[in-house]
Amino acid sequence: MTAATEKHLDEELRDVLQELSNVAMGRAADLLARLLENYVILPIPVVNLLERAELNMALSSLEEVKSVSAVCQGFVGSRIAGEALIIFNDTSFNDIAELTNFAGEITPQIELELLMDIANILIGACLKGLAEQLDVSFSQGQPVLLGQHLSLRDLVTDQAGNWQRALTIEIPYRLEGRNVDCDLLLLFTEDSLKVLEAKIEYMME
Amino acid sequence: MTPDQESLSEFHWLLEVLQTIDVGMLVVDLEFNVVAWNGFMENHSGIAPQDALERNLFDVFPDIPRDWFEHKSRTVIQLQNRAFTTWEQRPYVFKFKNNRPVTGTAEFMYQNCTFIPVANIRGKVESLCIIVYDVTDVAVSKLELQKANQQLKYLSRTDRLTALFNRGYWEELLEAEFRRQQRANRPTSLILFDIDHFKPFNDTYGHTVGDDVIRKVAEVTRETVRNTDLAGRYGGEEFGIILPDTPPQEAVLLAERLRERIEEMIVDSHDQRLQVTISLGVAGYDSELNDHNQWIDKADQALYLSKETGRNRVTLA
Repeated sequence: MTAATEKHLDEELRDVLQELSNVAMGRAADLLARLLENYVILPIPVVNLLERAELNMALSSLEEVKSVSAVCQGFVGSRIAGEALIIFNDTSFNDIAELTNFAGEITPQIELELLMDIANILIGACLKGLAEQLDVSFSQGQPVLLGQHLSLRDLVTDQAGNWQRALTIEIPYRLEGRNVDCDLLLLFTEDSLKVLEAKIEYMME
Repeated sequence: MTPDQESLSEFHWLLEVLQTIDVGMLVVDLEFNVVAWNGFMENHSGIAPQDALERNLFDVFPDIPRDWFEHKSRTVIQLQNRAFTTWEQRPYVFKFKNNRPVTGTAEFMYQNCTFIPVANIRGKVESLCIIVYDVTDVAVSKLELQKANQQLKYLSRTDRLTALFNRGYWEELLEAEFRRQQRANRPTSLILFDIDHFKPFNDTYGHTVGDDVIRKVAEVTRETVRNTDLAGRYGGEEFGIILPDTPPQEAVLLAERLRERIEEMIVDSHDQRLQVTISLGVAGYDSELNDHNQWIDKADQALYLSKETGRNRVTLA
């Protein structure tokens, strides 16, 4: 990210969000590790306020990846709203299938099952962790499959809508000793930011 | 009202709402015995409450894929985390008929489901709630859109008369093959051919007969080429075949076989029994070529030589 975008986000707010994400992400990682019985490398969440065009850059760590699958899920509660986005590198499916003891051929159907399993856990646990710390509760909408085996460019350009900026928390999950790449992006709408700030201020008092 | 009566009446309307809401709700205990369900589940399944309540879920709904369901539930219970399933993953969990039996196009109800762990007051998960949403309309329109897009893709790539690739798409394929050659040079060949004396032929017998001949030539071409070869209609009576991983000498053999088959072919059209021949040009890829157009030119020149030297023959560039 460029320095120009960073100055829009208050440093203290960023630090607190980073810390909240750390806790939430840790819980989700713990669940994932229990499900897969594999050590999950604890990632460092990246908190940013992104212009719409910059979502591209937030995804730049994935740029060399040819084909990804993605699931998004909306959440809303206590006047905070946003979307969680799971971006799953397609080359990860073999390892995930192995870890979840899926025998036989990995059909697109099986890939979808695996993708949804991982999405349920990571999104659910992360949101729950954040909500509990902020003392709010979120309703989660039904997850939507953004399409399997997309090129990353398609994924970003297909993100229609009229939002301008979003608070993003990017959490890149990796499994130890496994070729599994999975990024969780939490995007909060601009108007949620004020509510978040108020909540955090109250927390800090 | 006494406070007891008040809370009872409050409980009553809450139950009434749950019973009536047009979303399925089902609660099972950790042994998968049905503890509660609402009107949606009862009405769509056609199973009476006494036949469902306190009975095992998999006996009540034998269609549920048991392993899958148990695996999902275990994760939800162990991790105390909601799980969502979508119709794309599994069209339905409970096999219900379409909500619109008369005007609906789908046979069954597409469903999204949410698995929710339900904790008791001490925070221990003792049961599992499954919420069932009817998403038939969304699913059907999405599937139809996918089908339409596929059809559109097919149409935009296919030549109507011959069902071979059309010129635009075939040239795209050739261009892609050319680029692949520049990276990893494996022998690849190109065949161009056209039907001999087609114009006078068309003038004598008419266009509908001419179309039958083109169609038949395309059919024989399709039968002669291998699965990996890419055949397209390049122009009126001109065709192209891309042969990946094939050295020119082998391409000549295939071209020769095609020439023979077309020569033997008889077209029955409008009470006429007609025979045609084709002239072919074969050109292997070489690194001197600057773009795919030059590759076509090279094959075209070989084709021209075949014409010059008497037609019904194969020339290697």
